Amino acid sequence: MTVTLSELDTRFKYDVANEPGGENIKLCFACGLCTASCPVADIDQKFNPRRIIRMVLLGMRKEVLSSDTIWFCIQCYNCQGHCPQNVDFADIMKALRSMAVREGYVAPSFVEKIKEIDVFCQKLRHEMVSAIVDSRSRGVEVEPSGLAKEALQRL
Amino acid sequence: MEKQSGNGKIGAVLVVGGGVGGIQAALDLAESGYYVYLVEKSPSIGGVMAQLDKTFPTNDCSMCILSPKLVEVASHQNVSLRTYTEIESINGEAGNFNVKLRKKATYVDWEKCTGCGVCSEWCPVVMKSEFNMGLGPRRAIYTPFPQAVPKKFVIDKEEERLCHAACRDACPLHMNVPGYIKLIAEGQNEEAYKLISATNPLPAICGRICYAPCQEACNRGQLDEPLAIRDLKRFATDDFDIEKLEVPAVEPSGKKVAIVGAGPAGLVAAHDLALKGHKAVIFEALPKPGGMLQVGIPEYRLPKELVRKEIEYITKLGVEIKTGVEIGKHISLGELRGEFNAIFIGIGAHQGMELRVPGEDLPGVVQGVEFLRNVNLGKRVRVGRKVAVIGGGNTALDCARTAKRLGAEEVAILYRRTRAEMPASVEEIDAAEAEGIKIEFLVAPSRFIGNKRLSKVELIRMKLGAPDASGRPRPVPVEGSEFQLSINTVIAALGQAAKTDFVKELGISLSKRGIIEVDPGTGATNIEGVFAGGDAVTGPAFVVDAMAAGRRAARSIDAFLSGMPLPAEEKSEPQKLTSEEIQRLKNRFGESSQHKMAEVPVEQREGFGEVTLGYSKQEACKEAERCLAGQVTGCIQCLECVDRCEAKAIDHSMKDTFEEVKVGAVVFAGGYECYNPSELYELGYGRLPNVVTSIEFERILSASGPFQGVLQRLSDGVPPQKIAFIQCVGSRDAKHNRPYCSSVCCTYAIKEAMIAKEHSTVPLDVTIFFMDLRTYGKDFDRYYERAKEESGIQFVRSKVYSVEAVDSTGDLVVKFTTEDGAIKNEKFSMVVLSVGFQSSPELVKLAKEVGIQLNPYGFCQTKPFSPVETSKPGIFVCGAFSAPKDIPETVMQASGAAGEISAFLASARKTLTKERVYPPEKDVAGEEPRIGVFICHCGINIGGYVNVPDATEFARTLPNVAYAERNLFTCSQDTQERIKKVIEEYKLNRVVVASCTPRTHEPLFRETIRKAGLNPYLFEMANIRDQCSWVHMREPDKATEKAKDLIKMAVAKARLIEPLKPLSLPVNRAALVIGGGVAGMTGALTLAEQGFEVHLIEKSNVLGGIARRIHYSLDGEDVQQFLGKLIKKVQEHPKIRVYTDTWIVDVRGYVGNFTTEIMRYRGRVIEKIDHGVAIIATGAEEYKPDEYLYGRDPRVLTQLELEEEIVKKNPDIVNCDNLVMIQCVGCRNDERPYCSRVCCNEAIKNALKLKEMKPDMNIYVLYRDIRTYGFYEEYYEEARRKGIIFLHYDLEDKPKVRQERKGSQLLLRVQVKDKVLGDEIAIDADIIALSVAMASSPDVRELAMLYKVPVNEDGFFLEAHVKLRPVDFATDGVFVCGLAHAPKSLEESIAQAKAAASRATTILVKDAIIGEGIVAFVDEALCSGCGVCEVLCPYGAIAVNRDKGVSAVNEALCKGCGTCCAACPSGAVQQRGFTRKQISVMLDAALTGV
Repeated sequence: MTVTLSELDTRFKYDVANEPGGENIKLCFACGLCTASCPVADIDQKFNPRRIIRMVLLGMRKEVLSSDTIWFCIQCYNCQGHCPQNVDFADIMKALRSMAVREGYVAPSFVEKIKEIDVFCQKLRHEMVSAIVDSRSRGVEVEPSGLAKEALQRL
Repeated sequence: MEKQSGNGKIGAVLVVGGGVGGIQAALDLAESGYYVYLVEKSPSIGGVMAQLDKTFPTNDCSMCILSPKLVEVASHQNVSLRTYTEIESINGEAGNFNVKLRKKATYVDWEKCTGCGVCSEWCPVVMKSEFNMGLGPRRAIYTPFPQAVPKKFVIDKEEERLCHAACRDACPLHMNVPGYIKLIAEGQNEEAYKLISATNPLPAICGRICYAPCQEACNRGQLDEPLAIRDLKRFATDDFDIEKLEVPAVEPSGKKVAIVGAGPAGLVAAHDLALKGHKAVIFEALPKPGGMLQVGIPEYRLPKELVRKEIEYITKLGVEIKTGVEIGKHISLGELRGEFNAIFIGIGAHQGMELRVPGEDLPGVVQGVEFLRNVNLGKRVRVGRKVAVIGGGNTALDCARTAKRLGAEEVAILYRRTRAEMPASVEEIDAAEAEGIKIEFLVAPSRFIGNKRLSKVELIRMKLGAPDASGRPRPVPVEGSEFQLSINTVIAALGQAAKTDFVKELGISLSKRGIIEVDPGTGATNIEGVFAGGDAVTGPAFVVDAMAAGRRAARSIDAFLSGMPLPAEEKSEPQKLTSEEIQRLKNRFGESSQHKMAEVPVEQREGFGEVTLGYSKQEACKEAERCLAGQVTGCIQCLECVDRCEAKAIDHSMKDTFEEVKVGAVVFAGGYECYNPSELYELGYGRLPNVVTSIEFERILSASGPFQGVLQRLSDGVPPQKIAFIQCVGSRDAKHNRPYCSSVCCTYAIKEAMIAKEHSTVPLDVTIFFMDLRTYGKDFDRYYERAKEESGIQFVRSKVYSVEAVDSTGDLVVKFTTEDGAIKNEKFSMVVLSVGFQSSPELVKLAKEVGIQLNPYGFCQTKPFSPVETSKPGIFVCGAFSAPKDIPETVMQASGAAGEISAFLASARKTLTKERVYPPEKDVAGEEPRIGVFICHCGINIGGYVNVPDATEFARTLPNVAYAERNLFTCSQDTQERIKKVIEEYKLNRVVVASCTPRTHEPLFRETIRKAGLNPYLFEMANIRDQCSWVHMREPDKATEKAKDLIKMAVAKARLIEPLKPLSLPVNRAALVIGGGVAGMTGALTLAEQGFEVHLIEKSNVLGGIARRIHYSLDGEDVQQFLGKLIKKVQEHPKIRVYTDTWIVDVRGYVGNFTTEIMRYRGRVIEKIDHGVAIIATGAEEYKPDEYLYGRDPRVLTQLELEEEIVKKNPDIVNCDNLVMIQCVGCRNDERPYCSRVCCNEAIKNALKLKEMKPDMNIYVLYRDIRTYGFYEEYYEEARRKGIIFLHYDLEDKPKVRQERKGSQLLLRVQVKDKVLGDEIAIDADIIALSVAMASSPDVRELAMLYKVPVNEDGFFLEAHVKLRPVDFATDGVFVCGLAHAPKSLEESIAQAKAAASRATTILVKDAIIGEGIVAFVDEALCSGCGVCEVLCPYGAIAVNRDKGVSAVNEALCKGCGTCCAACPSGAVQQRGFTRKQISVMLDAALTGV
């Protein structure tokens, strides 16, 4: 596939840079530390922070804001803690998400659902950790993956 | 120092920092007529370069190329080396500064220190070597590395010792207790043993049975419990077998000493005398040697095997022991006196004291000493069921415990006083009681009862009365308290006496008690040459006292034998801690108790097996760590060094000293520090042992490093099979406040990777993880390609996220992502972090105090057009302190700073420098050779292996040798004086030194003999160190033979050597500068400002060169304004003559005397210019590309063309929407495999300028590696911040540019693959700017031929040495600078031009140039004029004279390399100083004999 830059919105990077948290996006020198440090990328290599930044810099506004991937970030800030250029990718994700909502790529209800998922995940995690802690005090070995069903029922 | 000055300026310069930059600046300045103070904070000059293993891109050994520079600067008469010195303050102003220096206390008098290293060898304090980055040890007294300059030692002392080392004073042998305890605490057990045995020849014995007065005095005992010093000593002897102890070679004195008695006194005396070279013969009455050690002390306390081994070692020293010979019976003392030069009597006290009690003669009553003697000699000894031992000393206890072991059922000790008065040691008493022996106090025998055999003893009770002569209460019998006890055996152990009747023969005086009377300080009896000591003198005492008596006597005998007065012993009283000291130490260390040795449990004690079990290593360490002396950091002041230093150079009372000097200018050459990556947790440094920094890796690779160059990882010493290098650690990292690029890491990583692969004993894979590979220097890209193609090193474009331990094997997992976004976890056995540069905090502090402006990262701020000036006039900078940079650039800047200063201080030149003055040279022509041979011990370096006295004797036998002597250090200052004196005294006309290598030392000795009035070439050297003692350490005899052969060869040659007269060439003080660009003009001005006449040649009709096309610099300076001023200055300077439209036609001559023929005005005028030096600054050109539609589409420009259009504000360009820059056009390819260095910066400069004019312009930079090295990285950051887009491409996948018709428009379409996106990108460009190669100037080759200088494959001039002589050529007097040398920035060209001028100045200031004496000469009768020599000579120094048809040597050009001599088919060419005859006599000497 050829990406023709004249068809893209080269202002996009400036817009992102004007969003709170997006200020440093242009400093990226593509070292890839964000991707290497990302726990989500560990699970799904389609999630590639460096590639998202590159898309923004090239002006791929529609492609980025309509992309699923900007919602995959779990906001752990690991990338941000390591970026040698202070690009603050986790904050950029927040900026992109709010732009996506504002520009109508996703409905506000979509964001609500994702918020719900986050809360649900936190609860699920809490339940599963509690179960493992309990099992430890009972002296039994429990496989974490086996607990998912149980935890889901309890929720 | 201040004698006179010019215009108020002072002709001296302070150079701060003794790294390669400081050294170069110092040398250039000193050679240019200025006095230099070279100040370095560490003990040696050399800087980081000394630590490097190899240098890129030639892989030369770093130390090998640096070492001669170190020697050169240190021996320069106009450089004052101030190492271990810090700068307190710099005040004043340009031309006149006051500098306050603080010389740190070295505790070693450098005037006396010969650098022999014996102190360090014996120093017990092991510390981490800074030089080896803490990976290897050094001692508290040390010199940083073997080739350190000056080779002087310093003591690393942080605080005064915490205790008084009372142990040492209390010990009769004054053993270095704190020293060996420290070594045990550090686990250096073998060394501990050696230190112990240095003062105590019977260590295993003393480690068991010494009464340990040291322990009694131990200051720790005042805090809690004393150290178990004796047990620690025993531990050291348990851990090391004396049979492995080396036997030193000693020169025999020819004197003989008889020793009577092989007890501890006699043995120590014999040992000490043997070490002094005297022949000691011991006469022992008993069948076995050892005295009381052998026959007095029971096996369970002192295994006899140990006694045997320790005595055996003494005999290995050459001591002879004759047993079974009783003096006075078998031989008389008088006979001994006749046969020997001296006598020592140490017969001990082996006679038991009688009880003087009725019935004493009854069988069953035995003498203790006799009883023990019989048992110890293995005689069958029986005891009864019930045994009583009379006495309270250790002998009594030995008897009792021995009796028990012989089967007695009941053993009692009967003592007439109480426990408190018992002379026996508490441990012995406790042990005896534990073994079931009863002790009856206040009781004494009054009668032994029995019929033929003892059956009962009558005892009487005692009470304590008034004190007697010994100070103890006298036991007084209690009237009527007699009682009887049935008993089978009584052992009387009351005391011993000596049997001294035999000494009366010589009239030796005895006391009333029959003991020998001696002078207590010297051990001398009243008869000359007869000495005595031990129990025979003192009455029964302790082993160590007897040993000390033996030592005292040996010292006296040695003095007596050499006719010296007898030395009196110095008394040293053990000092106690004061109560305040005790309190302070308690607060600091708390309290701890002694760790006890394990013992065999009482119930398991059988026979005569040893009772105590010794310490384990851990126990010993723990106990040793309690020593207060060892608690300080660094030197523990054990004073071993004081004892060891032959030169008496150690002075522990030294203090820091201050000094003020006046200088006219200052150079900051303080270098850099390596970044410590501990804060980068994920990378594992400090957390994982197999993660090391690049500088640590240099030391690991270095043959002089901690592992002798054997590549290994730190966790297990195993050679790694796979190494990862991680780049940009502490560089290009804004998060950690290091946004700048450290410039050198990419290339050094490649170097380390290549060397590692070469060194590795196993197949080794190396991967380098990088972001942009910055091999921008001259020939660095070729190096990079070689690394990929030839060495198979992998390069991965990725910043590594983490390094983690994979398991317990020490292997590591490196996590990173590839360009396409794949996350990889790859296993490595070792990781090297390529750490960046930072400036040292001390330097920053000093710079701030002085008022020099620094950048935010602590580097010195400079300006592009004045790259070596600081913000403060008169203060200059060079090297990594101004920005991270490599060695050649540092050297260039150093010379550049020197050039600038040389111009600034020109009025004060030669006001403070000294000239060497020599006496007139003696004419030795026609004299019979009188050769002096000086043979060096080099401390133990040679003397430890080669028998130097023997070799010296041998040298004396060689024909024509008028004199031979040996020296501890032939190179020391005092020996130089001595050599001069000897030359005078013995009328020597040739000198041979047999020592180390001529490479480092020949100039010194030549200088010495020149000072004695001899021609310096009347000198010859034999290398008996590097080529003999060092390589034949294990074969001392053969090494001695080889040394003799080497000396014989040198002497043979010396007979034939002749004085040589090097040419003295006058110097024409004019310079020719070729090239009127910025480099040429800067060089010309730097010289002209010093008053030298300069001819500036420019082939075009204007000055300015390529800079005419550069309008602004990255930091916004106006280049044209600068250039205009520079041209004006040059044109108006009275000393500069500018020749435009001028070409060089011909060049003749040599350094100091060139004649260059020039053609002006297109051949209409030919002129000749005489000059002493030439600087080539012919610049370079912009490559004209034929790719990317250049020349076919007007919208495609080069960067220089773009810049011109920007300046013109061409609306088509400054108002365009989309601009694409393509980097590396025409370079880094097969045709031009080099990086043009400036293009990344130029592209960013123009892109930023355009952004300034039109902020929303889309600018795309397509690059292979962005190479914004050093602080240029800030502009790369700035460019991204402004929205300029950087897209990476590979050489294999270059961008494509084509014209595409779209309606009425002809689009200029650039297509490039974006690896991050994974897609092709198409950009419709309005303008394309090509960053094209910098190509060499076309007239390079012709000029190179004319000046006989080389050119590299890329058409750039090749300097004399890529690291250390970056502006010189091998041809003297010709220099290079600017783009003619290699692509570089304007700033770098300016620095290099000043450097070339500085190097040229060192020649122009000379009145004459002394050529080389060792040059080729031609025997015209043999020469056939074939011209082979002419073709091969690398210096153009030999040529066939067409008229005569024979070759002739131009001595001014000849370097004495010998190529022509080797090549000449008829043997017509020979070399002075190495003639065929001279070499063949050496061969004869080696092969046949004299």
